Order: sequence, then C-alpha cells, then structure tokens
Amino acid sequence: MRSKIIYGLAIMGLIAVGCNDPDDGSYVDPVTIYEKMDGDWGLMSLNMVDEYAKANAIEPSEQNMGAYFNYEDFKIRFSVDDNMEPTTYEVMGDVPPLFPANGYWKLSSAFQQPNGEAVKIYLYSDAQKTQMTDELKLVAVPGSGEQMELQLVRKSGGIAFVSYSFKLNAVN
Amino acid sequence: MKKIIQFIVLAFVLLPGVARAQEAAGSINDMWSFPVVYAYDEEVTWFFDLSTTTFAAESDVYLWIWSPSEPDAGNWENSSEFAKLTYEGDMIWSFTLTPTEYFNMTPEDIAASAGFWFRLKDLTGSLQSEVHSMAYTDYSSFAGSGELWRSYPSSPLIDEGVSILFNANLAEGFEDATSIHFHSGLNFWDIAVEYQSWIPEVVEKTQLKNMGGGIYKMDLIPQEYYEAPDGYVMENIAFLFVKDDWAGTTADQVLYAGEFIPPPPPVFTFFPQQISKKDFLGIIRTNNEPGINTLIYTVTAGTVEVTGEITGGVSEIKGFVNLVSALQNVDVTEIHVLVKDNTDRTISDTTIPLKQLD
Repeated sequence: MRSKIIYGLAIMGLIAVGCNDPDDGSYVDPVTIYEKMDGDWGLMSLNMVDEYAKANAIEPSEQNMGAYFNYEDFKIRFSVDDNMEPTTYEVMGDVPPLFPANGYWKLSSAFQQPNGEAVKIYLYSDAQKTQMTDELKLVAVPGSGEQMELQLVRKSGGIAFVSYSFKLNAVN
Repeated sequence: MKKIIQFIVLAFVLLPGVARAQEAAGSINDMWSFPVVYAYDEEVTWFFDLSTTTFAAESDVYLWIWSPSEPDAGNWENSSEFAKLTYEGDMIWSFTLTPTEYFNMTPEDIAASAGFWFRLKDLTGSLQSEVHSMAYTDYSSFAGSGELWRSYPSSPLIDEGVSILFNANLAEGFEDATSIHFHSGLNFWDIAVEYQSWIPEVVEKTQLKNMGGGIYKMDLIPQEYYEAPDGYVMENIAFLFVKDDWAGTTADQVLYAGEFIPPPPPVFTFFPQQISKKDFLGIIRTNNEPGINTLIYTVTAGTVEVTGEITGGVSEIKGFVNLVSALQNVDVTEIHVLVKDNTDRTISDTTIPLKQLD
C-alpha cells in the first residue's frame, strides 16, 4: 500500500516536470556599459589617495579634495552615438586638469569582465582614437543607483604612487 | 455697604505695594579672593561671578553682610554707597575691604566668628541672591610647619592668584632683613622678573609683605606679574628669596603649576609622500603652538613660482598647492618648497623630486 503511494507521487512529479516549457522571451541585445555611462555625471566626492603611504601603512594616506579648487562644480559628460558607440567626453566646471578636460573615449570592454577586473576608460585626443592621453579605471559600474566611481592612477615605473577616486552620480 | 466698597477699593489701591515681592536672583556661580590668603587686617578684594544669576551686567550690586557684623544694618531698602560692589566685566563684580575696618572688629574676634555670611542685592532689595559665605583660608599652620615656603594653591594656574608664604626664620642669615624680595621666572626663567634692586618700581613689585613673626608673603597673578603673552603655558615658577640689596639669598626653589598637560609636539607633513607635477601638494601642520595660525608657502619649479597662504588653528593647518595647473607646461624634475609661519619662522625649506609618469 505504502509503495503504491510513493509510485503515484513519483509519476505525478514526472508529469509536472515533463510539462514545463521554459519561456525565455524574444532575444534582446544585452545592455552595455556605454549605455549606462551615456550622459552627465556630477561629483559626489573626490579623494586623493597616497598609494605609497597606503602600501607602507603611513598615515594620512587619503585626503578629501571635494572642497578644494572648485571640485564641488565638477561634472563630466560621456557621449555616445545612435549605435551606443562612444564618441566624446567633456569635463565641465573650472577645475585643475588632472586629466585632459575633453577628448574622445572608449572602454576596454563593453561589458564587465567575468574575472572581476575593472573595465578601463581610454581617453584620446583624436577622433580616430590613436593618441591616448590617459586612462581611468571604472571601479564601480553604474547600476540602478545611477552612481559610478572612476579612478585615475598615477604610476611611475609601473608602480602606483598616487590615485584619485571620483565618486559620481547621474545628473538628470 | 458704601463703606465696604470703599474698603475694597482701598485694598486694591494698596495691593501693588504689598505685592512687590522680592525676586530671587539665584546662586553665585563662583567666588574667590585676591590675595588668595590674607590676614584679617590686610586689604583684600573679593570677587563674585554672577553669570548664573539674574543680575544684569554692569548693574549696581550691593553687599548685605551680617556676619561677623552688620555694617549696613537697617538699610535693606536703600543700601549704603560703602556696600556697593565694583563691576569688573564678564559678569564679575568685586568688593575691596580690610575686614578689621569694615566690620570694626579685632582679628581675634573675626577669627572666632561664624565667618563671612552675606547676600548680594540691588539697591532697594527687590532682587537678592541666595545666602552665601566667603571662604577664608587659615594659614596659621604654616609658621610651625618647618616648611621654608608654601604656596596657596599648591599648584597655581597662570591666570589665577597665588600666595607664596616664606618663613624667614628658617633661612640662614635672613634674621635681620629689612626687606625680602622675590627673584623669579616662569618656566625656569623663560620670562623673568628679576630683583633689580636699583630700580624703585622693581624693588616695590618684587617685595614680599611682612606678615609678622618672620613670616613673609608674595601675592601675584602669574599672567599679569610676568606679562606672559596670551596662550603661554606655565609649567613652573623658578624663584629664590633675596634679603635686602642682595645681602643673602635662599637656594633655588621651584613651584610647579597645576593642570599642566604638555601639548603634543607639532607635526609637519607633505601629502602625498611621492608626487608628480600633475598632482596636488598637500601642506599639513598639526598640534600648532598657540598663536600659529598661518603657513606661507613658496613653491619654485624652474621659472615658475607659486605662493600662497594656508590658514588654520591649533589643531590643524591644512591646504593644497595646485601643481596640476601651475606646472602644466613646465618641464621640471624637482620643486623647491619654502614654508614659513605667521611669525616668519621657517617651517620647511626643502627640495622634493618629482616622479616621472609612465
């Protein structure tokens, strides 16, 4: 009697699984980082990090620069064309040029890396993107919070000694 | 009936006079005297901090004292001029008296009394403080203590009074002294008031008061006596007693100040530790000495010179130099940084190599 009930349950289970037809919807292109970065970004905070001090446990190793040199007015615009391909970028606000205030840009990858490595933003002085002027690390990719974090790293002989961390939020 | 109405009306007319109640002004916040210790036949000034009372600043305040005696008896509603306090500013009033004269009593009688019990009041007595007593420090134990000197308080503060008692009976050669002088300096003679016996004002300023029986007393407020600058930290008073015109001296003595917590030493740093010409140069100085509030910098890179001022306070002076903009079009491998403070003292004079970027 007991084994018949178990068989019965097993058959019902098989029927239930067999009837499941997965519905993945129609195909849509995945959203690229270009799409997420498109637009104007305002500064939430700018931290200058002494990478040498940090590596050697020397204090202070970090300074908040948000209140200096007009950085409260810092804005940056990343533009893309109709095909969501990167075109120009432009820094707005009268701030010191930690990196060139305008030019062209592209990413090292349109998607986040499976290995977790930060996507890089390459900055160029020419539209053909042959003359690279600087590169930024996209430390935090824009998500539903519409915030992102860019890092500018100063290196000498391959070793980072200073970095600047820009925390931004979407304007409009 | 008519008489009753007239009576009621009369009662109401008189009421305001009856209802003029005495207003409580509250308790006196703090009291002290200068000299700190004094004989009953010595002039003393009592100080009253009325910041916690409802007496108005600069208003006329009178002393209403009934122990050891009551000099202004019968004048509660119109205090006498001699009972009036002097306004010193910052809600502090003072009253100067020689107890034996003010109370018309002998020192022995005052000593045997219940002490100085009083209220402070306005002229008419409509406003009055709580009842207080002015504390009196009995220093009679000093003479037989075998101590060469004793200070009240034992650990003085720079801006408060101190009385230093000296027992000349215990100082060899001081028996026949006609005058005794205080030769001294703050913080081991950093700010000295020397006994310059050829200058009459100095002779007077440094002279101890003869209290009788070979006991002498020096009364002073260090800040005023030594004319110490604002913010000066008193660690000690180094001194010795001098007989007549340097006919003899005691050995060197030291009186240590109270509540002296040495401030942490100033720390000057550049930020970051390594820098390129495309970075901001932070100039930071913490734990600054009192009065140090500005750093003036001159950064020289090749033909470019960047100058500026950074302001702050005792805890921190911090600012950044914008090398990013200044050195944009300059090809240099090092910068020279000169930092001075607002007293023109050189804080840093150094050359910083610039990191060459990849």
